[in-house]
Amino acid sequence: MTARTRALDPAVGRALSALSATAKKGLGDPALAELVVIRASQVNHCAFCLDMHLAIAREHGVSEKQLGLLAAWQEAEEVFDERERAALALTEAVTVLTDGFVPDEVYENAAKHFDDARLAHLIGLIVAINNWNRVMVGRRIPPGGYTP
Amino acid sequence: MTTHNPDTTITTTVEYAPEQPARLDWAKHAPEVYKAMVRLEIAARQGLDHKLYELVKIRASQINHCAFCIDMHTKDTLAAGESVERILQLSAWDESRHFYTAKELAALELTEAVTVLTDGFVPDEVYENAAKHFEEAELAQLIAAITAINAWNRFGVTCRMAPGHYQPGQYK
Repeated sequence: MTARTRALDPAVGRALSALSATAKKGLGDPALAELVVIRASQVNHCAFCLDMHLAIAREHGVSEKQLGLLAAWQEAEEVFDERERAALALTEAVTVLTDGFVPDEVYENAAKHFDDARLAHLIGLIVAINNWNRVMVGRRIPPGGYTP
Repeated sequence: MTTHNPDTTITTTVEYAPEQPARLDWAKHAPEVYKAMVRLEIAARQGLDHKLYELVKIRASQINHCAFCIDMHTKDTLAAGESVERILQLSAWDESRHFYTAKELAALELTEAVTVLTDGFVPDEVYENAAKHFEEAELAQLIAAITAINAWNRFGVTCRMAPGHYQPGQYK
């Protein structure tokens, strides 16, 4: 499969990268960040992003068990702790806005596990990967280009 | 005051539901994230027709149910001289195609496809129709612009930013 286009304004690319980097840094948990990013990429069906972030997750030591069960995290309580589950529930809610809003219980549960600053950065990270998902799926950038 | 004719002026106070408070002032708690968003916004709008850009913003905000963004962009669009009709018909654009140019329709179709990725990818015919109306660099900007409004929608909805207070041109 070839890309539809690889055009992307350099200033747009830099802003997208800055957003991702600053959000990830502010969250302060690189392994959790990868779980969030991979889950959003699954929901948005972004092959390029999945390929790239599965590699990064492994670099950060995320287990194969977590990576394998991520798509069914709600059914895998022993594999994801409460904080991870709160972040993943928020990831899904913020990624799928078309079904209607971000439920109070999802937001409030996330707010229990993350202080205001970390929560703001977690939301920023979910937004940032949603951005990349749109830019990659829209242009149909094929997976496999990423090397750690 | 009482009257038997409902069409004459009746002085009653309409009681609206209370305004919901915002959940989180995300820009305050993540100022660098906010700065990156502003950079993205400025970069993404370069080279795009302003009227088209606002139509894209409103349509994505409708699909994502972002009240704050709808408030902002309908006011900005009206202030920029857009017709009320074209704004009101936007949520049914597929049935009111004669209100829009072929280029605007291609952009709106792409907006919906790029906004709703969960149903599966961006269809070839949608992308190809957009590519007929936009040359490559402009199309990349359009995708960036759709991405940017989706990003603002996510902050607006998640943090429950309250609509109604925006003044046209406030953030210009």
